[in-house]
Amino acid sequence: MTSLTVLDGGIIAIYLLITMVAGVAIRRYVRRVEDFIVAGREMNVYLGIASLAATEFGIVTCMYAAQNGFDKGFAGAVPGLLTFAAMFLVGYTGFCVKPLRDSGVMTIPELFEKKFGPRVRWAAGVVIVLGGLLNMGVFLRMGGDFLVNVAHLDPRYLEVMMTALLVGVAIYTILGGMLSVLVTDFLQFVVMSAGLIVTTFLILGKVGWGALVDAVEVHHGAGGFNPFANPTMGWSYVIFNALLNTAAVLTWQTQIARVLAAKDSATGRKVYTRTSFFFVARWLVPGIWGIAALALLTPEQVPQDSILAMPRMLGMVLPAGLMGLLIAAMLAADMSTDASYMLTWSSVIYNDILAPFRRTKWSEKKGLFWNRTIVALIGVFLLVYGLWYKIEGDAWTYLGITGTIYLSSISTLLVACCYWKRANSWGAAAAILFGALMPVATLILQKVGPWRAWVKENEASCMIAVYATTAVAMIVGSLLKPQPKGSTAGDKP
Amino acid sequence: MTTVLDAILTMLQDHWFWGATTLICLAWYSTVTVYVAIRGAADIRAMLRRLRRGASSTKPV
Repeated sequence: MTSLTVLDGGIIAIYLLITMVAGVAIRRYVRRVEDFIVAGREMNVYLGIASLAATEFGIVTCMYAAQNGFDKGFAGAVPGLLTFAAMFLVGYTGFCVKPLRDSGVMTIPELFEKKFGPRVRWAAGVVIVLGGLLNMGVFLRMGGDFLVNVAHLDPRYLEVMMTALLVGVAIYTILGGMLSVLVTDFLQFVVMSAGLIVTTFLILGKVGWGALVDAVEVHHGAGGFNPFANPTMGWSYVIFNALLNTAAVLTWQTQIARVLAAKDSATGRKVYTRTSFFFVARWLVPGIWGIAALALLTPEQVPQDSILAMPRMLGMVLPAGLMGLLIAAMLAADMSTDASYMLTWSSVIYNDILAPFRRTKWSEKKGLFWNRTIVALIGVFLLVYGLWYKIEGDAWTYLGITGTIYLSSISTLLVACCYWKRANSWGAAAAILFGALMPVATLILQKVGPWRAWVKENEASCMIAVYATTAVAMIVGSLLKPQPKGSTAGDKP
Repeated sequence: MTTVLDAILTMLQDHWFWGATTLICLAWYSTVTVYVAIRGAADIRAMLRRLRRGASSTKPV
Protein backbone atom coordinates (compact mmCIF):
# COMPACT_ATOMS: atom_id res chain seq x y z
CA MET A 1 0.00 0.00 0.00
CA THR A 2 1.55 3.32 -1.12
CA SER A 3 1.31 6.56 0.86
CA LEU A 4 2.23 10.00 -0.40
CA THR A 5 5.97 10.72 -0.37
CA VAL A 6 7.83 14.05 -0.57
CA LEU A 7 8.33 13.44 -4.30
CA ASP A 8 4.58 12.97 -4.79
CA GLY A 9 3.83 16.09 -2.75
CA GLY A 10 6.36 18.09 -4.79
CA ILE A 11 4.81 17.05 -8.11
CA ILE A 12 1.33 17.99 -6.86
CA ALA A 13 2.49 21.34 -5.39
CA ILE A 14 4.32 22.37 -8.60
CA TYR A 15 1.31 21.48 -10.73
CA LEU A 16 -1.10 23.46 -8.49
CA LEU A 17 1.22 26.48 -8.39
CA ILE A 18 1.65 26.65 -12.18
CA THR A 19 -2.10 26.28 -12.76
CA MET A 20 -3.06 28.99 -10.29
CA VAL A 21 -0.45 31.44 -11.58
CA ALA A 22 -1.48 30.88 -15.21
CA GLY A 23 -5.20 31.08 -14.40
CA VAL A 24 -4.91 34.31 -12.45
CA ALA A 25 -2.46 35.94 -14.91
CA ILE A 26 -4.98 35.66 -17.75
CA ARG A 27 -7.47 37.96 -15.96
CA ARG A 28 -5.93 41.06 -17.57
CA TYR A 29 -7.27 40.00 -20.98
CA VAL A 30 -10.88 40.08 -19.76
CA ARG A 31 -12.45 43.37 -20.82
CA ARG A 32 -15.95 42.47 -21.94
CA VAL A 33 -18.68 40.02 -20.98
CA GLU A 34 -18.02 38.25 -24.31
CA ASP A 35 -14.38 37.68 -23.25
CA PHE A 36 -15.59 36.25 -19.94
CA ILE A 37 -18.27 33.91 -21.34
CA VAL A 38 -16.93 32.84 -24.76
CA ALA A 39 -13.26 33.93 -24.65
CA GLY A 40 -13.91 36.71 -27.16
CA ARG A 41 -14.67 33.90 -29.67
CA GLU A 42 -10.93 33.54 -30.29
CA MET A 43 -10.55 29.82 -29.54
CA ASN A 44 -8.78 27.77 -32.21
CA VAL A 45 -8.96 24.02 -32.95
CA TYR A 46 -6.20 22.49 -30.78
CA LEU A 47 -6.90 24.65 -27.76
CA GLY A 48 -10.55 23.64 -28.21
CA ILE A 49 -9.66 19.94 -28.29
CA ALA A 50 -7.54 20.25 -25.12
CA SER A 51 -10.23 22.26 -23.35
CA LEU A 52 -13.14 20.00 -24.34
CA ALA A 53 -11.23 16.84 -23.40
CA ALA A 54 -10.05 18.26 -20.05
CA THR A 55 -13.52 19.52 -19.16
CA GLU A 56 -15.26 16.29 -20.04
CA PHE A 57 -12.94 14.21 -17.89
CA GLY A 58 -13.17 14.88 -14.17
CA ILE A 59 -12.57 12.65 -11.16
CA VAL A 60 -16.30 11.96 -11.22
CA THR A 61 -15.96 10.69 -14.82
CA CYS A 62 -13.09 8.45 -13.81
CA MET A 63 -15.10 7.12 -10.86
CA TYR A 64 -18.32 6.27 -12.73
CA ALA A 65 -16.52 4.86 -15.79
CA ALA A 66 -14.39 2.66 -13.50
CA GLN A 67 -17.52 1.65 -11.60
CA ASN A 68 -19.05 0.61 -14.92
CA GLY A 69 -15.90 -1.43 -15.69
CA PHE A 70 -16.06 -3.09 -12.27
CA ASP A 71 -19.83 -3.75 -12.36
CA LYS A 72 -20.35 -4.46 -16.08
CA GLY A 73 -16.91 -5.39 -17.52
CA PHE A 74 -15.82 -4.13 -20.94
CA ALA A 75 -19.47 -3.66 -21.90
CA GLY A 76 -19.52 -0.79 -19.39
CA ALA A 77 -17.52 1.29 -21.91
CA VAL A 78 -20.41 1.25 -24.43
CA PRO A 79 -21.54 4.83 -23.52
CA GLY A 80 -18.10 6.01 -24.71
CA LEU A 81 -18.53 4.33 -28.10
CA LEU A 82 -22.00 5.89 -28.42
CA THR A 83 -20.70 9.37 -27.55
CA PHE A 84 -17.89 8.98 -30.08
CA ALA A 85 -20.37 8.10 -32.83
CA ALA A 86 -22.72 10.96 -31.90
CA MET A 87 -20.01 13.62 -31.62
CA PHE A 88 -18.26 12.58 -34.83
CA LEU A 89 -21.51 12.65 -36.82
CA VAL A 90 -22.62 16.00 -35.37
CA GLY A 91 -19.20 17.54 -36.04
CA TYR A 92 -18.95 16.04 -39.54
CA THR A 93 -22.43 17.08 -40.66
CA GLY A 94 -22.71 20.28 -38.62
CA PHE A 95 -26.15 19.09 -37.48
CA CYS A 96 -27.56 21.86 -35.24
CA VAL A 97 -24.07 23.12 -34.21
CA LYS A 98 -23.52 24.97 -37.49
CA PRO A 99 -26.73 27.04 -37.39
CA LEU A 100 -26.19 27.53 -33.64
CA ARG A 101 -22.66 28.96 -34.00
CA ASP A 102 -23.54 30.92 -37.16
CA SER A 103 -26.37 32.66 -35.28
CA GLY A 104 -23.77 34.44 -33.08
CA VAL A 105 -25.54 33.71 -29.78
CA MET A 106 -23.67 33.15 -26.49
CA THR A 107 -26.04 30.46 -25.12
CA ILE A 108 -28.62 28.06 -26.57
CA PRO A 109 -31.65 29.74 -24.91
CA GLU A 110 -30.64 33.00 -26.63
CA LEU A 111 -31.20 31.21 -29.96
CA PHE A 112 -34.58 29.98 -28.74
CA GLU A 113 -35.76 33.54 -28.15
CA LYS A 114 -35.45 34.23 -31.88
CA LYS A 115 -37.85 31.38 -32.68
CA PHE A 116 -40.00 30.84 -29.59
CA GLY A 117 -39.97 34.18 -27.75
CA PRO A 118 -38.50 35.49 -24.46
CA ARG A 119 -40.59 33.32 -22.12
CA VAL A 120 -39.29 30.10 -23.68
CA ARG A 121 -35.76 31.50 -23.46
CA TRP A 122 -36.22 32.11 -19.76
CA ALA A 123 -37.84 28.71 -19.09
CA ALA A 124 -35.11 26.94 -21.08
CA GLY A 125 -32.50 28.77 -18.99
CA VAL A 126 -34.17 27.61 -15.77
CA VAL A 127 -34.25 23.89 -16.73
CA ILE A 128 -30.68 24.03 -18.06
CA VAL A 129 -29.48 25.45 -14.77
CA LEU A 130 -31.64 23.05 -12.70
CA GLY A 131 -30.36 19.95 -14.52
CA GLY A 132 -26.77 21.18 -14.61
CA LEU A 133 -26.56 22.14 -10.94
CA LEU A 134 -28.10 18.86 -9.74
CA ASN A 135 -25.64 17.07 -11.99
CA MET A 136 -22.49 18.81 -10.86
CA GLY A 137 -23.60 18.92 -7.22
CA VAL A 138 -22.13 15.47 -6.60
CA PHE A 139 -18.74 16.11 -8.20
CA LEU A 140 -17.00 17.39 -5.11
CA ARG A 141 -17.69 14.50 -2.76
CA MET A 142 -16.84 11.91 -5.39
CA GLY A 143 -13.56 13.70 -6.10
CA GLY A 144 -12.78 13.75 -2.38
CA ASP A 145 -13.65 10.04 -2.03
CA PHE A 146 -11.21 9.23 -4.82
CA LEU A 147 -8.32 11.20 -3.31
CA VAL A 148 -8.93 9.84 0.19
CA ASN A 149 -8.98 6.22 -1.03
CA VAL A 150 -6.03 6.48 -3.42
CA ALA A 151 -3.69 8.40 -1.15
CA HIS A 152 -4.94 6.89 2.15
CA LEU A 153 -5.72 10.32 3.54
CA ASP A 154 -7.74 10.87 6.70
CA PRO A 155 -11.43 11.05 5.60
CA ARG A 156 -11.97 13.81 8.17
CA TYR A 157 -9.99 16.12 5.92
CA LEU A 158 -12.12 15.38 2.83
CA GLU A 159 -14.34 18.45 3.21
CA VAL A 160 -11.42 20.78 3.98
CA MET A 161 -9.37 19.44 1.07
CA MET A 162 -12.16 19.71 -1.49
CA THR A 163 -13.19 23.15 -0.21
CA ALA A 164 -9.61 24.41 -0.68
CA LEU A 165 -9.50 22.95 -4.19
CA LEU A 166 -12.83 24.54 -5.12
CA VAL A 167 -11.77 27.93 -3.73
CA GLY A 168 -8.61 27.79 -5.84
CA VAL A 169 -10.59 26.93 -8.99
CA ALA A 170 -13.19 29.60 -8.20
CA ILE A 171 -10.51 32.29 -7.85
CA TYR A 172 -9.14 31.95 -11.37
CA THR A 173 -12.56 31.27 -12.91
CA ILE A 174 -14.06 34.37 -11.28
CA LEU A 175 -11.14 36.53 -12.37
CA GLY A 176 -10.46 35.22 -15.87
CA GLY A 177 -13.70 33.54 -17.00
CA MET A 178 -13.51 31.41 -20.14
CA LEU A 179 -10.04 32.76 -21.00
CA SER A 180 -8.58 31.41 -17.75
CA VAL A 181 -10.58 28.22 -18.16
CA LEU A 182 -9.14 27.62 -21.64
CA VAL A 183 -5.53 28.25 -20.62
CA THR A 184 -5.72 26.16 -17.43
CA ASP A 185 -7.65 23.47 -19.33
CA PHE A 186 -4.71 23.21 -21.71
CA LEU A 187 -2.23 22.66 -18.84
CA GLN A 188 -4.67 20.28 -17.19
CA PHE A 189 -5.14 18.30 -20.41
CA VAL A 190 -1.39 17.68 -20.69
CA VAL A 191 -0.95 16.67 -17.01
CA MET A 192 -4.17 14.63 -16.94
CA SER A 193 -3.38 12.75 -20.16
CA ALA A 194 0.18 11.95 -19.06
CA GLY A 195 -1.14 10.53 -15.78
CA LEU A 196 -3.92 8.52 -17.44
CA ILE A 197 -1.67 7.01 -20.12
CA VAL A 198 1.24 6.12 -17.79
CA THR A 199 -1.10 4.59 -15.18
CA THR A 200 -2.92 2.52 -17.80
CA PHE A 201 0.31 1.11 -19.25
CA LEU A 202 1.48 0.32 -15.72
CA ILE A 203 -1.77 -1.53 -14.94
CA LEU A 204 -1.68 -3.45 -18.23
CA GLY A 205 1.94 -4.41 -17.52
CA LYS A 206 1.26 -5.47 -13.93
CA VAL A 207 -2.06 -7.26 -14.36
CA GLY A 208 -1.83 -8.39 -18.00
CA TRP A 209 -4.57 -8.45 -20.63
CA GLY A 210 -5.30 -12.12 -20.06
CA ALA A 211 -6.00 -11.60 -16.36
CA LEU A 212 -8.33 -8.68 -17.14
CA VAL A 213 -10.30 -10.76 -19.65
CA ASP A 214 -10.43 -13.72 -17.23
CA ALA A 215 -11.73 -11.51 -14.41
CA VAL A 216 -14.54 -10.19 -16.63
CA GLU A 217 -15.40 -13.71 -17.82
CA VAL A 218 -15.51 -15.10 -14.27
CA HIS A 219 -17.59 -12.26 -12.78
CA HIS A 220 -19.82 -11.23 -15.67
CA GLY A 221 -19.69 -13.98 -18.31
CA ALA A 222 -20.70 -13.00 -21.86
CA GLY A 223 -22.48 -9.93 -20.47
CA GLY A 224 -19.09 -8.46 -19.57
CA PHE A 225 -18.28 -8.11 -23.28
CA ASN A 226 -21.69 -7.71 -24.89
CA PRO A 227 -24.10 -5.10 -23.49
CA PHE A 228 -27.12 -6.93 -24.93
CA ALA A 229 -26.19 -10.08 -22.99
CA ASN A 230 -25.66 -8.15 -19.75
CA PRO A 231 -28.64 -8.38 -17.34
CA THR A 232 -27.94 -4.88 -15.96
CA MET A 233 -27.77 -3.30 -19.43
CA GLY A 234 -29.71 -4.65 -22.44
CA TRP A 235 -31.45 -2.76 -25.25
CA SER A 236 -33.05 -0.17 -22.99
CA TYR A 237 -29.67 0.83 -21.50
CA VAL A 238 -28.05 1.13 -24.93
CA ILE A 239 -30.95 3.12 -26.43
CA PHE A 240 -31.12 5.42 -23.40
CA ASN A 241 -27.39 6.06 -23.62
CA ALA A 242 -27.58 6.69 -27.37
CA LEU A 243 -30.30 9.30 -26.79
CA LEU A 244 -28.57 10.78 -23.75
CA ASN A 245 -25.17 11.12 -25.40
CA THR A 246 -26.57 12.53 -28.65
CA ALA A 247 -28.55 15.09 -26.67
CA ALA A 248 -25.44 15.91 -24.61
CA VAL A 249 -23.32 16.42 -27.72
CA LEU A 250 -25.96 18.84 -29.04
CA THR A 251 -26.76 20.78 -25.88
CA TRP A 252 -24.59 19.98 -22.85
CA GLN A 253 -23.45 23.40 -21.65
CA THR A 254 -19.75 22.57 -21.27
CA GLN A 255 -19.57 20.92 -24.70
CA ILE A 256 -21.60 23.45 -26.64
CA ALA A 257 -19.68 26.31 -24.96
CA ARG A 258 -16.62 25.19 -26.99
CA VAL A 259 -18.60 25.48 -30.23
CA LEU A 260 -19.82 28.92 -29.20
CA ALA A 261 -16.31 30.05 -28.19
CA ALA A 262 -14.81 28.84 -31.48
CA LYS A 263 -13.63 31.37 -34.09
CA ASP A 264 -16.32 30.15 -36.51
CA SER A 265 -18.61 27.16 -37.10
CA ALA A 266 -15.97 25.31 -39.15
CA THR A 267 -13.55 25.50 -36.19
CA GLY A 268 -16.29 24.34 -33.79
CA ARG A 269 -17.07 21.35 -36.03
CA LYS A 270 -13.37 20.42 -36.27
CA VAL A 271 -13.11 20.52 -32.47
CA TYR A 272 -16.02 18.05 -32.34
CA THR A 273 -14.79 15.60 -35.00
CA ARG A 274 -11.21 15.58 -33.70
CA THR A 275 -12.15 15.22 -30.02
CA SER A 276 -14.82 12.57 -30.62
CA PHE A 277 -12.52 9.55 -30.21
CA PHE A 278 -11.38 10.92 -26.85
CA PHE A 279 -14.76 9.81 -25.51
CA VAL A 280 -13.82 6.17 -26.14
CA ALA A 281 -10.69 6.74 -24.02
CA ARG A 282 -12.77 8.61 -21.45
CA TRP A 283 -14.74 5.40 -20.78
CA LEU A 284 -12.30 2.65 -21.69
CA VAL A 285 -9.23 3.86 -19.75
CA PRO A 286 -10.97 4.15 -16.35
CA GLY A 287 -13.04 1.08 -17.31
CA ILE A 288 -9.80 -0.92 -17.55
CA TRP A 289 -8.80 0.42 -14.13
CA GLY A 290 -12.17 -0.80 -12.77
CA ILE A 291 -11.63 -4.22 -14.37
CA ALA A 292 -8.13 -4.32 -12.85
CA ALA A 293 -9.77 -3.76 -9.45
CA LEU A 294 -12.04 -6.72 -10.23
CA ALA A 295 -8.97 -8.84 -11.01
CA LEU A 296 -6.76 -7.72 -8.12
CA LEU A 297 -8.98 -7.11 -5.09
CA THR A 298 -9.91 -10.04 -2.88
CA PRO A 299 -13.59 -10.24 -1.78
CA GLU A 300 -12.54 -8.85 1.64
CA GLN A 301 -10.86 -5.87 0.00
CA VAL A 302 -13.83 -4.95 -2.21
CA PRO A 303 -15.59 -1.97 -0.61
CA GLN A 304 -19.35 -1.98 -0.01
CA ASP A 305 -19.78 0.75 -2.61
CA SER A 306 -18.31 -0.51 -5.91
CA ILE A 307 -17.41 3.04 -6.95
CA LEU A 308 -14.55 2.95 -4.41
CA ALA A 309 -13.00 -0.29 -5.76
CA MET A 310 -10.85 1.42 -8.43
CA PRO A 311 -9.24 4.03 -6.13
CA ARG A 312 -8.56 1.30 -3.56
CA MET A 313 -6.82 -0.79 -6.22
CA LEU A 314 -4.74 2.19 -7.40
CA GLY A 315 -3.66 2.86 -3.82
CA MET A 316 -2.27 -0.70 -3.74
CA VAL A 317 -0.42 -0.89 -7.06
CA LEU A 318 0.99 2.57 -7.76
CA PRO A 319 4.62 3.24 -6.78
CA ALA A 320 5.83 6.51 -5.21
CA GLY A 321 6.33 9.23 -7.83
CA LEU A 322 3.65 7.79 -10.06
CA MET A 323 1.19 8.32 -7.22
CA GLY A 324 2.07 12.03 -7.30
CA LEU A 325 1.62 12.15 -11.07
CA LEU A 326 -1.74 10.38 -10.84
CA ILE A 327 -3.04 12.68 -8.10
CA ALA A 328 -1.82 15.74 -10.03
CA ALA A 329 -3.57 14.31 -13.11
CA MET A 330 -6.81 13.74 -11.21
CA LEU A 331 -6.66 17.18 -9.59
CA ALA A 332 -6.12 18.59 -13.09
CA ALA A 333 -9.12 16.63 -14.36
CA ASP A 334 -11.30 17.82 -11.50
CA MET A 335 -10.22 21.45 -11.59
CA SER A 336 -10.84 21.78 -15.32
CA THR A 337 -14.27 20.20 -14.95
CA ASP A 338 -15.31 22.30 -11.93
CA ALA A 339 -14.10 25.53 -13.54
CA SER A 340 -15.88 24.91 -16.80
CA TYR A 341 -19.11 23.75 -15.16
CA MET A 342 -19.24 26.81 -12.89
CA LEU A 343 -18.55 29.15 -15.78
CA THR A 344 -20.83 27.69 -18.42
CA TRP A 345 -23.84 27.36 -16.14
CA SER A 346 -23.32 30.83 -14.71
CA SER A 347 -23.33 32.12 -18.30
CA VAL A 348 -26.88 30.74 -18.76
CA ILE A 349 -28.02 32.34 -15.49
CA TYR A 350 -26.58 35.69 -16.56
CA ASN A 351 -27.45 35.59 -20.24
CA ASP A 352 -30.91 34.01 -20.07
CA ILE A 353 -32.42 33.87 -16.58
CA LEU A 354 -31.40 37.43 -15.77
CA ALA A 355 -32.35 38.60 -19.29
CA PRO A 356 -35.69 40.12 -18.14
CA PHE A 357 -33.74 42.31 -15.70
CA ARG A 358 -31.45 43.56 -18.45
CA ARG A 359 -34.05 45.27 -20.61
CA THR A 360 -31.83 48.35 -20.55
CA LYS A 361 -28.30 47.49 -21.62
CA TRP A 362 -25.89 46.89 -18.73
CA SER A 363 -22.37 48.27 -18.84
CA GLU A 364 -19.55 45.78 -19.38
CA LYS A 365 -18.37 46.49 -15.83
CA LYS A 366 -21.76 45.67 -14.33
CA GLY A 367 -22.11 42.58 -16.56
CA LEU A 368 -18.73 41.25 -15.49
CA PHE A 369 -19.52 41.93 -11.82
CA TRP A 370 -22.70 39.85 -12.03
CA ASN A 371 -21.04 37.05 -13.99
CA ARG A 372 -18.34 36.81 -11.34
CA THR A 373 -20.88 36.92 -8.52
CA ILE A 374 -22.90 34.08 -10.09
CA VAL A 375 -19.78 31.91 -10.49
CA ALA A 376 -19.04 32.48 -6.78
CA LEU A 377 -22.62 31.56 -5.80
CA ILE A 378 -22.48 28.35 -7.85
CA GLY A 379 -19.26 27.49 -6.00
CA VAL A 380 -21.10 27.90 -2.68
CA PHE A 381 -23.93 25.67 -3.97
CA LEU A 382 -21.41 22.99 -5.00
CA LEU A 383 -20.00 22.97 -1.50
CA VAL A 384 -23.34 22.73 0.28
CA TYR A 385 -25.14 20.27 -2.04
CA GLY A 386 -22.02 18.15 -2.54
CA LEU A 387 -21.78 17.49 1.17
CA TRP A 388 -25.27 16.15 1.88
CA TYR A 389 -26.78 14.49 -1.20
CA LYS A 390 -26.45 10.69 -1.32
CA ILE A 391 -26.71 9.02 -4.73
CA GLU A 392 -29.13 6.07 -5.12
CA GLY A 393 -27.93 3.43 -7.59
CA ASP A 394 -24.87 3.91 -9.79
CA ALA A 395 -23.33 7.32 -10.36
CA TRP A 396 -23.63 7.33 -14.16
CA THR A 397 -27.37 6.70 -14.03
CA TYR A 398 -27.84 9.51 -11.46
CA LEU A 399 -25.94 11.87 -13.75
CA GLY A 400 -27.97 10.62 -16.72
CA ILE A 401 -31.29 11.26 -14.95
CA THR A 402 -30.37 14.74 -13.70
CA GLY A 403 -28.91 15.61 -17.10
CA THR A 404 -32.09 14.42 -18.81
CA ILE A 405 -34.03 17.13 -16.91
CA TYR A 406 -32.86 19.46 -19.61
CA LEU A 407 -31.16 17.32 -22.26
CA SER A 408 -34.41 15.80 -23.52
CA SER A 409 -36.29 19.07 -23.87
CA ILE A 410 -33.45 21.37 -24.94
CA SER A 411 -32.20 18.96 -27.61
CA THR A 412 -35.76 18.64 -28.93
CA LEU A 413 -36.12 22.43 -28.95
CA LEU A 414 -32.77 22.86 -30.69
CA VAL A 415 -33.55 20.40 -33.47
CA ALA A 416 -37.02 21.90 -33.94
CA CYS A 417 -35.64 25.44 -33.81
CA CYS A 418 -33.07 24.70 -36.52
CA TYR A 419 -35.03 22.42 -38.83
CA TRP A 420 -38.82 22.56 -38.27
CA LYS A 421 -40.58 25.66 -39.53
CA ARG A 422 -43.87 24.81 -37.85
CA ALA A 423 -42.29 24.58 -34.34
CA ASN A 424 -43.61 27.27 -32.02
CA SER A 425 -43.80 28.43 -28.40
CA TRP A 426 -46.64 26.05 -27.40
CA GLY A 427 -44.65 23.02 -28.50
CA ALA A 428 -41.50 24.38 -26.85
CA ALA A 429 -43.29 25.02 -23.55
CA ALA A 430 -44.88 21.54 -23.57
CA ALA A 431 -41.50 19.90 -24.30
CA ILE A 432 -39.77 21.81 -21.49
CA LEU A 433 -42.55 20.93 -19.04
CA PHE A 434 -42.62 17.19 -19.78
CA GLY A 435 -38.84 16.97 -20.15
CA ALA A 436 -38.29 18.46 -16.70
CA LEU A 437 -41.14 16.92 -14.72
CA MET A 438 -40.60 13.27 -15.68
CA PRO A 439 -36.92 12.96 -14.61
CA VAL A 440 -37.63 14.91 -11.41
CA ALA A 441 -40.51 12.49 -10.70
CA THR A 442 -38.14 9.57 -11.32
CA LEU A 443 -35.62 11.01 -8.85
CA ILE A 444 -38.34 11.46 -6.23
CA LEU A 445 -39.84 7.99 -6.82
CA GLN A 446 -36.36 6.49 -6.36
CA LYS A 447 -36.36 7.85 -2.83
CA VAL A 448 -39.99 7.50 -1.66
CA GLY A 449 -43.23 5.73 -2.46
CA PRO A 450 -44.28 2.17 -3.23
CA TRP A 451 -42.58 2.04 -6.68
CA ARG A 452 -38.99 2.48 -5.47
CA ALA A 453 -37.83 -0.98 -6.54
CA TRP A 454 -39.65 -0.85 -9.89
CA VAL A 455 -38.26 2.59 -10.77
CA LYS A 456 -34.72 1.53 -9.87
CA GLU A 457 -35.00 -1.56 -12.07
CA ASN A 458 -36.49 0.33 -15.02
CA GLU A 459 -34.56 3.62 -14.93
CA ALA A 460 -33.37 3.32 -18.54
CA SER A 461 -36.87 2.61 -19.88
CA CYS A 462 -38.28 5.55 -17.88
CA MET A 463 -35.67 7.85 -19.42
CA ILE A 464 -36.38 6.60 -22.97
CA ALA A 465 -40.03 7.44 -22.27
CA VAL A 466 -38.96 10.98 -21.28
CA TYR A 467 -37.20 11.56 -24.63
CA ALA A 468 -40.14 10.13 -26.59
CA THR A 469 -42.74 12.12 -24.62
CA THR A 470 -40.75 15.33 -25.00
CA ALA A 471 -40.59 14.94 -28.78
CA VAL A 472 -44.31 14.14 -28.96
CA ALA A 473 -45.09 17.17 -26.73
CA MET A 474 -43.14 19.43 -29.10
CA ILE A 475 -45.00 18.11 -32.14
CA VAL A 476 -48.48 18.09 -30.61
CA GLY A 477 -48.06 21.48 -28.90
CA SER A 478 -46.82 23.10 -32.10
CA LEU A 479 -49.63 21.63 -34.18
CA LEU A 480 -52.28 22.71 -31.66
CA LYS A 481 -51.29 26.39 -31.70
CA PRO A 482 -53.34 28.28 -34.25
CA GLN A 483 -51.15 29.67 -37.00
CA PRO A 484 -51.31 33.34 -37.94
CA LYS A 485 -53.24 33.87 -41.18
CA GLY A 486 -51.03 33.60 -44.25
CA SER A 487 -48.17 31.97 -42.32
CA THR A 488 -46.88 28.43 -42.84
CA ALA A 489 -44.17 28.56 -40.24
CA GLY A 490 -43.83 28.84 -36.43
CA ASP A 491 -43.69 31.95 -34.28
CA LYS A 492 -41.02 33.69 -36.32
CA PRO A 493 -40.87 32.51 -39.91
CA MET B 1 10.19 -5.87 -28.50
CA THR B 2 9.05 -9.49 -28.83
CA THR B 3 7.26 -9.22 -25.47
CA VAL B 4 5.36 -6.15 -26.63
CA LEU B 5 4.37 -7.84 -29.91
CA ASP B 6 3.24 -10.93 -27.98
CA ALA B 7 1.13 -8.75 -25.70
CA ILE B 8 -0.46 -7.03 -28.71
CA LEU B 9 -1.20 -10.37 -30.39
CA THR B 10 -2.79 -11.67 -27.17
CA MET B 11 -5.00 -8.60 -26.99
CA LEU B 12 -6.13 -9.11 -30.59
CA GLN B 13 -6.82 -12.82 -30.14
CA ASP B 14 -8.54 -12.66 -26.76
CA HIS B 15 -11.84 -10.83 -27.35
CA TRP B 16 -10.48 -9.03 -30.41
CA PHE B 17 -13.05 -6.18 -30.40
CA TRP B 18 -12.16 -4.89 -26.95
CA GLY B 19 -8.47 -5.72 -27.47
CA ALA B 20 -8.30 -3.76 -30.73
CA THR B 21 -10.34 -0.87 -29.29
CA THR B 22 -7.99 -0.65 -26.29
CA LEU B 23 -4.89 -0.72 -28.49
CA ILE B 24 -6.23 1.95 -30.89
CA CYS B 25 -7.38 4.02 -27.96
CA LEU B 26 -4.00 4.03 -26.20
CA ALA B 27 -2.06 4.65 -29.44
CA TRP B 28 -4.41 7.47 -30.46
CA TYR B 29 -4.48 9.08 -27.02
CA SER B 30 -0.67 9.03 -26.63
CA THR B 31 -0.16 10.59 -30.07
CA VAL B 32 -2.88 13.21 -29.71
CA THR B 33 -1.61 14.29 -26.29
CA VAL B 34 1.82 15.17 -27.70
CA TYR B 35 0.38 16.79 -30.85
CA VAL B 36 -2.24 18.86 -28.98
CA ALA B 37 0.36 19.90 -26.38
CA ILE B 38 2.45 21.46 -29.16
CA ARG B 39 -0.31 22.93 -31.34
CA GLY B 40 -2.46 24.00 -28.36
CA ALA B 41 0.42 26.12 -26.97
CA ALA B 42 0.65 27.88 -30.34
CA ASP B 43 -3.13 28.45 -30.27
CA ILE B 44 -2.87 30.09 -26.83
CA ARG B 45 -0.10 32.42 -28.00
CA ALA B 46 -2.11 33.40 -31.08
CA MET B 47 -5.31 33.90 -29.04
CA LEU B 48 -3.58 36.16 -26.51
CA ARG B 49 -1.91 38.11 -29.32
CA ARG B 50 -5.29 38.75 -30.98
CA LEU B 51 -6.84 39.74 -27.65
CA ARG B 52 -3.98 42.17 -26.97
CA ARG B 53 -4.50 43.78 -30.38
CA GLY B 54 -8.24 44.05 -29.79
CA ALA B 55 -7.67 45.42 -26.30
CA SER B 56 -6.00 48.61 -27.47
CA SER B 57 -9.42 50.14 -28.16
CA THR B 58 -11.10 49.06 -24.88
CA LYS B 59 -10.24 49.85 -21.28
CA PRO B 60 -9.73 46.96 -18.81
CA VAL B 61 -12.51 46.42 -16.25
